[in-house]
Amino acid sequence: MPEGKSQLRILVVEDEAKVARALREGLEREKYEVVVASTGEEGFFLVNAEEFDLVILDLMLPGRDGLQVLATLRKRGLQTPVLVLTARDAIEDRVKGLDSGADDYLVKPFAFAELSARVRARLRRGRAEQAPHLKFANLELDVMTRDARRAGHHLELTPREFELLEYLLRHKEHVVSREMLARDVWKEVARATPLDNVMDVHMNRLRRKVDEPFDTKLIHTVRGVGFVLREEQ
Amino acid sequence: MRLAPRNVRSRLTLWYVSVLGVLLVAYAAGSLFFLFLSMREQFDHNLREDVETVEGLLVNEPNGSVALRSHHDDDEDSRLQRFVEVWSLDNAVLFRSPELQGQALDGPPSSRERTETTVPTSRRLGNGLRVRIASSAPHVEGRGVVLRVAHSEAPLWKELSEFGWVLALGFPPAILLAALGGYALARKALAPIDAMTLETQKISAEDLDARVSIKNPEDELGRLAAVLNAMLGRLQGAFEQLRRFTADASHELRTPLTAIRSVGEVALQDQKTVAEYRDVIGSMLEEVDRLTRLVESLLVLSRADAGYTHLHRTDVSLVSVAQEAASMLEVLAEDKRQHIDVEGDPHLVVSADRLILRQSIVNLLDNAIKYSPLESRILIRVQRGPDKQALLDVIDRGMGIPDQQQRHVFDRFYRVDKARTREWGGAGLGLSIARWAVEAHGGQITLKSEEGRGSTFRISLFLGESGA
Repeated sequence: MPEGKSQLRILVVEDEAKVARALREGLEREKYEVVVASTGEEGFFLVNAEEFDLVILDLMLPGRDGLQVLATLRKRGLQTPVLVLTARDAIEDRVKGLDSGADDYLVKPFAFAELSARVRARLRRGRAEQAPHLKFANLELDVMTRDARRAGHHLELTPREFELLEYLLRHKEHVVSREMLARDVWKEVARATPLDNVMDVHMNRLRRKVDEPFDTKLIHTVRGVGFVLREEQ
Repeated sequence: MRLAPRNVRSRLTLWYVSVLGVLLVAYAAGSLFFLFLSMREQFDHNLREDVETVEGLLVNEPNGSVALRSHHDDDEDSRLQRFVEVWSLDNAVLFRSPELQGQALDGPPSSRERTETTVPTSRRLGNGLRVRIASSAPHVEGRGVVLRVAHSEAPLWKELSEFGWVLALGFPPAILLAALGGYALARKALAPIDAMTLETQKISAEDLDARVSIKNPEDELGRLAAVLNAMLGRLQGAFEQLRRFTADASHELRTPLTAIRSVGEVALQDQKTVAEYRDVIGSMLEEVDRLTRLVESLLVLSRADAGYTHLHRTDVSLVSVAQEAASMLEVLAEDKRQHIDVEGDPHLVVSADRLILRQSIVNLLDNAIKYSPLESRILIRVQRGPDKQALLDVIDRGMGIPDQQQRHVFDRFYRVDKARTREWGGAGLGLSIARWAVEAHGGQITLKSEEGRGSTFRISLFLGESGA
């Protein structure tokens, strides 16, 4: 959340109207100022005319190829971080995307939770989250000593449960998708069905330890989306 | 201009005729050469004899020159153009045949000519006539002279060229005959191929069960037909698989789509509370999630079909990968109070992409956990096999898989128990992906199962160099 300072501006270059609208609403809800360009030309014009903190660029644009737009912009010395959205799944394209100056990429269909996490990471708002002491409500985590406490009581967690809780805490109040957990906590290349079941079991055990003895539940399932650490009755 | 003929028949004939032509020319050239050698030997022999004859005919003239007495067999020699030249030892011309019309046969005699009889040599005279010259150093009534006798080579060349022409005239008819014969032969030999071409042309994607007829399976054409038929068989299989796969995939994709549609449509029919709408959206998102995963799995498999898999191979200890897979799925086993054991030599190393290999073990293990009863034991055993192979077995004590279904378990979308698997949320791709992962490493995945007693899935991989 931006505190007092001027809003961060994001340019979304996306031709699919529904996706563009969803991105605008989702990002505005997270207190960003969002400008949408529906063609490569328009995006090109806007980037040259105004200042943005981040560009989200769809690679399947009519008129001008997204990669071309990006390469031209980088040639002109554009420093703004660029997050590329692509429906192409070929590894070569990804590499090409990064070579041509993309800072990060997401393959469609992506989860909004994931996009939002990447945007946050790109805009370096999560610097405080690297701290060894994490706190949310009456939940405390010491990453160095691997100590977890809720309301002062020590929680007996397995290493995996600790990592899971730490990840939720670092993304507190933001939904984390199963893809994010598979990649960042389990370090898996793909999210396979067995892993989903494993995740559910771990999440249930973690809930039992963290939430069961307390009235205020912190870990919540967002159906069809993922999990979130949030203070709710 | 197009030089290479269009069909094999003409090409064969052209080759045949060219080779024959070259052979004929070489043969003719060889014959002419040997004929030339033997004729020249005879010619030189006559020349030498003539030198001796002329020696006897030389007489001194009062004015110091030399004359040639006429001799009897003049008639015989008249067709033979003979030239005579006589030199004194002090390089003065003593006699020259009038036919030479003042031309010299050669310059003043060399030192060899002054002392001995020389071997015949060829020379071209000033008027272009080719002659063969021999010389001797006789004494004419006590006076030493140098005698040169030359014969025109014209008769020799005339005879040779006549023979050459006789040979050359025979070439065109011989080659023409050979070409006709060769063409007919090639045509006959290639006729079955033409027939096969017609037959194959008629086979389209719609009737892949048609086959090329084989007349004699032993000869080259029979083997070609057999190869074509085998290829058609594989093609038919691939088409069949593709058709089934497409049908299955669209069925699998349709299921979540139907759910999304009906859940959404029903929800719109009457006024609901916010919580109810959230529930509806959540349920739709779950189906979207299922679709997404399905599409991803299909993409992995189709990329594997196209051979696009990139492996990042490192030396991997099979036991340690198995332990990783086991510790990942341990919680699932714990829920069923099952126990997973990993045993084997941790130093058994293969060259593999750790993550992809682990995925295949995870899928096998997940399968074992699902189909094993409560409180049973699942064993992952790693061992060295024959032929430098490493074997990894996933052994369960589950319900097993009936014989007739065993060969289908790795097929895409195949479910042993159609009703049951739905609740597990799988799409029947886990084992296909496991097989793809193993085969991408050049390995093999096999199943041994006995109904009611359990199943053993075996991954066999070739050992890395460091493990051999």
